[in-house]
Amino acid sequence: MKPLSLSALAVLSAVSRSVRHGFDIMDATNLPSGTVYPVLGRLERDGYVRSKWESQAIAQREKRPPRRYYEITANGSRALAESVEHYRTLGDRIGLTPDKPTAR
Amino acid sequence: MTGHQMSEPARRLYDRCVRIARAASSLVPDWRREDWLREWDGELWFRASLLDRRHPIDRLASRRLIIRTLGAFAHALWTLTDEMRLDPMLQDLKYALRGLIKRPAFAALVIATLALGIGANTAMFSIVHSVLIKPLPYERPDELVYMYGGFAGGEQASVSPPDYLDYRARNSVFSSLAARTIFGASVITGTDEPERVTSSIASANFFATLGVAPYRGRGFLPEEEVGPSTVAIISYGLWQRRFGGDARIVGKPITVDGHSLTVVGIMPPSLERTIDVQVWRPIGFNTPETSTRRFHFLRLVGRLKPGVTIAQAQRHMDEIARGLAETYPENESWHLNLVPYRDVVIGSVGPVLFVLLGAVGVVLLIACGNVASLLLARASARSGEIAVRTALGAARGRLVRQLLTESLLLGVVAGCVGLGLAHYLLAGVRAMGAGMLPRLAEVEIDGVALAFTIAVSLLTSLVFGAAPALHAVRPNLAAMMKSVGKASPTRGGAHTRNALVVAQVALSFVLLVGAGLLVRSLSQLQHVETGFDSAGVLTAEIRLPGDRYDSRQKTDQFWVQFLDRVRAIPGVEAAAATTLLPLRGGGDTYFYIEGQPPASDAQKMNATVSTVTDDYFAAMRIPLVGGRSFTSSDHGNGAGVTVVSRGLATRLFPGVSPIGKRLVVDFGKPFTAEIIGVVADVRVYGQANGAPDVLYFTAGQPNAGFGTGVMNLATRLRGNPATIAPQVRAALHAVAPDVALSAVESMDSILHDSVSAPRFRTQLLLAFASVALLLAVIGLYGMLAYSVAQRTREMGIRMALGARPTVVFRMVIRQGMLLVGVGVVLGIAGALVATRLIASQLFNIGPTDPPVFVGVASTLILAGLAACVIPARRATKADPISALRLE
Repeated sequence: MKPLSLSALAVLSAVSRSVRHGFDIMDATNLPSGTVYPVLGRLERDGYVRSKWESQAIAQREKRPPRRYYEITANGSRALAESVEHYRTLGDRIGLTPDKPTAR
Repeated sequence: MTGHQMSEPARRLYDRCVRIARAASSLVPDWRREDWLREWDGELWFRASLLDRRHPIDRLASRRLIIRTLGAFAHALWTLTDEMRLDPMLQDLKYALRGLIKRPAFAALVIATLALGIGANTAMFSIVHSVLIKPLPYERPDELVYMYGGFAGGEQASVSPPDYLDYRARNSVFSSLAARTIFGASVITGTDEPERVTSSIASANFFATLGVAPYRGRGFLPEEEVGPSTVAIISYGLWQRRFGGDARIVGKPITVDGHSLTVVGIMPPSLERTIDVQVWRPIGFNTPETSTRRFHFLRLVGRLKPGVTIAQAQRHMDEIARGLAETYPENESWHLNLVPYRDVVIGSVGPVLFVLLGAVGVVLLIACGNVASLLLARASARSGEIAVRTALGAARGRLVRQLLTESLLLGVVAGCVGLGLAHYLLAGVRAMGAGMLPRLAEVEIDGVALAFTIAVSLLTSLVFGAAPALHAVRPNLAAMMKSVGKASPTRGGAHTRNALVVAQVALSFVLLVGAGLLVRSLSQLQHVETGFDSAGVLTAEIRLPGDRYDSRQKTDQFWVQFLDRVRAIPGVEAAAATTLLPLRGGGDTYFYIEGQPPASDAQKMNATVSTVTDDYFAAMRIPLVGGRSFTSSDHGNGAGVTVVSRGLATRLFPGVSPIGKRLVVDFGKPFTAEIIGVVADVRVYGQANGAPDVLYFTAGQPNAGFGTGVMNLATRLRGNPATIAPQVRAALHAVAPDVALSAVESMDSILHDSVSAPRFRTQLLLAFASVALLLAVIGLYGMLAYSVAQRTREMGIRMALGARPTVVFRMVIRQGMLLVGVGVVLGIAGALVATRLIASQLFNIGPTDPPVFVGVASTLILAGLAACVIPARRATKADPISALRLE
């Protein structure tokens, strides 16, 4: 399988950590909206994340329009793990990460 | 949206962001837009309300929110392209585009070929549409009828003013009946250089009848139909050119032919495009000239009442004509000849244009043939690839669609290129064809032509994309799979390509014969014996203003003085003047042999009259075949003398010398003249028309001819005649400063121009035919080259088995020439039918002229042979080893 791109990896990793909304993902990844949304779209198309609308009840209680949120799928978790492994190996090979494990 | 508890600044921030997101959403495909926008709206509201928790709102954070919102454009763009990626049609398009870019030569050849056909067709169609199909720029032009005068001697004569008034008063079929003169010319003097313009005298209701409203000022009033006229209406072009478009010219006087006339109106540009007249004057019906029924010089235009047909109107006007003939004996046999107005404007170019349109249509067919052949070859080469894809489960419909997309793409690109080409072609035709096509100024690429182009390009590409596509997906997978990497030709494809080549050769044969016939006809026309020597002759027209030159004595005196000055110009061998310049035309009159007056009008003899100065025959080198020319001893009011043309002399006095015989000529009053000489026949009305009978009179006899107020200068000199034009102008200025020298032209160029219309259509058809030939040869070459490439293995095996290269060479040549031969035979059959269409355009040769047929056949066979040679040579180079290695 082709590894995820770095921005896709960042976004997917954020979603896996329950950062669920588009703008929150931007904050978490420090990526611009013009990158995050297309990446989310691609991840959803490839079946790594799925999106849902939060229930109308919550939105109404907070008197705001409903927000779309994203969840990681089983496929997504697998792809995330494989890609992290791929980049870690790569990092090892080019001497980027001596022995310190990356934050996960 | 929902919510209410947001503060005003937060609300404004939110609104601004939503506006940005909404703008971006216009990129998003419709069915995803609402969902897409809701996501942004939810996030933006949430973020804006977060910022709203701190007061005042953090300006940095709100700016960051706006910048983030701008990312919605990137998001929208991504959504759009994502949508495209999923759309199979766009995917096909992308695939097709990539395929074409990968084979630039193939794509360029197809596009260039199609664009050529489409461009030529669009240009031609635009011309046909503007000239023939588009309604005239008048109100309800279908109701307009043009009327000639008709009598025993001809159906395209004119109408006398008293007859016109009677027709106007008595008819009940026209809601309006107007009249005007044709062939008028006037000189405008005053502020600028004197300028010669075309002019016309019209009835007051002329413009209203056409339904053309004045652009500025007014039309003529009924009370202005009384001479002499003091008002004038000018054309838009003259107004712009001579009066700088100054609207204050209305109400001001201008000087026309020495008379001061008040400009009362300016006509719109549309009128001048169909009637080339710059100065209009009202006709006065109370002058001696306009009160004589024998003087026919008007043409009529009528607007039919609703529901009246032209045939009904003709019957009605015939009845009136019979009534007039009963009352006035001089009206015997005179009547009106009604024709639809547009037929008169369009003239005889209709059939010519349709022939040319047919010719470009054939060019397009041949171009399409080439494209089809190319696409077939391409599909055949890809049959392996397609078989593999089919075997892997690609849907057949999908494959067909993909091939169609490719040809459609080619069609669209070729259509665009062709449209650009048409633009330049039209510019060229406008420049070249000025004066040869009516309504040329109106010609432009219009919506109809554009739609036509698009239809043609799409149809072409679809039809010829479909054939290879269907052929390519024939279900014989096993055979095609086997051919992967070898790409052997399929029988069906080869047959189709052979048929295409035959059709192309046949079609281009037909076009080449058409062009060949016109070329031969033109060359015959140009080599007609004109009866004079045009080389080294400069001509010009001089029109003396009637107010100052009001007697024959004054005009004659002018000519003596002026010609003396011209003779003094270095290089001038002879200078003369004539009222009848060859190819420019002139007036005619009745005459009879003295002692033999005609019993009735029908037996009257008619001849063209030319009043000349004495050395005219010398200046034009018109050979004297008997008797003598005019001398100064003939001048004065003594015994009348005339020189006649040879044709007239031999017809009137067969086998007898005409010298000394006397004729009685009608110049208003009878003039008796003794024939003193006979000169060669001159083709006065152009090479295509026979030489008319001409009676020449000397300008020195004031009672002969129709006056010398308007004459043409004919100057013979050594060297280039154009070089002395300024000196001639200076000579005129010295004698009469307010007289215009117009139509300054060498006789050679008048001759050249006189065949410009046939030359124009000949060049066009020749160009089309050449393109057709080129395309056909390319098609033949492409087919053979492809076939040879496909048969490399076969050739290799043949040669390995001992076939000599010459055998292989001959085999390929035979294959190609067989197709050419069949094409030529079919072409001959087609041409025998098709050339009848241009029979009426031909001069002195028949539509089955054998030299043309033989010439075209040999040209095609030679061109075909040339196209065969390269592939044939290539076939002999087939290397047996490498060919066999493919096994």
